[in-house]
Amino acid sequence: MAGKFKYGVSTYSYVDDYGTVMTLEDAFDHIAGTGATGIEIMGEAQIEGYPKPGNGWLDTWFRLLDRYNLEPTNMCSWVDMRLTLSHSLTIEEGAAELERDLRLAHQLGFKFLRPKFGVLSHDLIPDPQWEAYTERNLDLADKLGVIICPEIHAPTPINHQVVDGYIDFIERTGTKNFGLMIDTGIFQNVPLTHWGSHQINDEARKHMEFLNGIAVNPDEFLDVAKYVVFIQAKFHDINDELEDQNIPWKPVISAIKRSGYSGYLSSEYEGLRSPWRSIDQVRRQHALLRKLEREYDEGLFA
Amino acid sequence: MLEHQLIQSTGFHNFGPDGAREGFAVRVRIPNYHGTRLSQLDGFDVTVDGEFFSFEQNRFRIRNEVYTLEEMREAVEPRWGMFEYGYILVDKPGGLAPGIHKVEVKARIRYSYFPPDVHIFPMHAERFATICVA
Repeated sequence: MAGKFKYGVSTYSYVDDYGTVMTLEDAFDHIAGTGATGIEIMGEAQIEGYPKPGNGWLDTWFRLLDRYNLEPTNMCSWVDMRLTLSHSLTIEEGAAELERDLRLAHQLGFKFLRPKFGVLSHDLIPDPQWEAYTERNLDLADKLGVIICPEIHAPTPINHQVVDGYIDFIERTGTKNFGLMIDTGIFQNVPLTHWGSHQINDEARKHMEFLNGIAVNPDEFLDVAKYVVFIQAKFHDINDELEDQNIPWKPVISAIKRSGYSGYLSSEYEGLRSPWRSIDQVRRQHALLRKLEREYDEGLFA
Repeated sequence: MLEHQLIQSTGFHNFGPDGAREGFAVRVRIPNYHGTRLSQLDGFDVTVDGEFFSFEQNRFRIRNEVYTLEEMREAVEPRWGMFEYGYILVDKPGGLAPGIHKVEVKARIRYSYFPPDVHIFPMHAERFATICVA
């Protein structure tokens, strides 16, 4: 029996608009306006005074959650491995970064924390110290009721040693406080046309081949579904006919439904950063994903 | 709130004593989608009307604190948030003439989660901006 999805939006969707044509309350309004129940944020973006927000900001945060009837889902954080050009974080320092963000996420009501670990290669193999500084925080995460979930993000596919490493960690420790976040950008099978506010030229395409899509077979989701705790519904462009130009949502939704996943699909618009464009793109994605879920549930596709 | 473009219209000005300007300042919002420690930035190249000013010489001012490149590289406590602007300070005796200039900025952002050889990632922006006062 397939679960029902929960729908959320990440403030990442509103990059460049946020802070220029959009306040925190505007973001809440746009997110709630999609019918979503969850808000995902980037800690060091939406939290003013990060990592120690003042009481004024905290009051605002809880007032907005209440007013717009949204629950905090995931908070994104970064572990600044290359702290300076000459000093990389020690295990103790890395553990402290993670602890800082776990406590802050909990304070704000988040159930998931996505740390971005430093990487050592073009297929995004993380600095091996991630394991030590994460393990040192598992008891704290358990106490706080927060699940740490690094993201599986293009150009890293599902069938890869990065994913194997995370799964080995879960199996070895038996933890319930660590899982996988899947970024649906891995399923992209049509090249992007824009990156940020720019059209992609040949030079950029050469350096960032993943912009063309790494086209993971959606059915591979089923291989790791038992470890997946959160999904960032990455997308870039949905046209006026409600067709996504890059992500094959039908087979993606089919695979996720068949896995029984009943967690969040948290929108991450990453298309052209033209002022206000993101707002309706997110709304289109919610219309599209809800339509596909309904059609799947009605047996219109399998 | 800030302007949508990285390079802000307001805040582009000459600095130094009236009649003996020492340089000019370019106001920018953070060239990233999230706030960071200052140490996660590795300076800014600036080009005005084709004249190039290297990141190694340009300084950065935020909240009335001024950082040289070397100081910014070691600044692990101070952070730059989404609602704050900073100034790139460029030495140029006499400053810029009043009027419209073509301004280009290449911000050198450091991403720990990018592969080492590209971990200093350039973000480029350009626009026309106006110096109001000599």
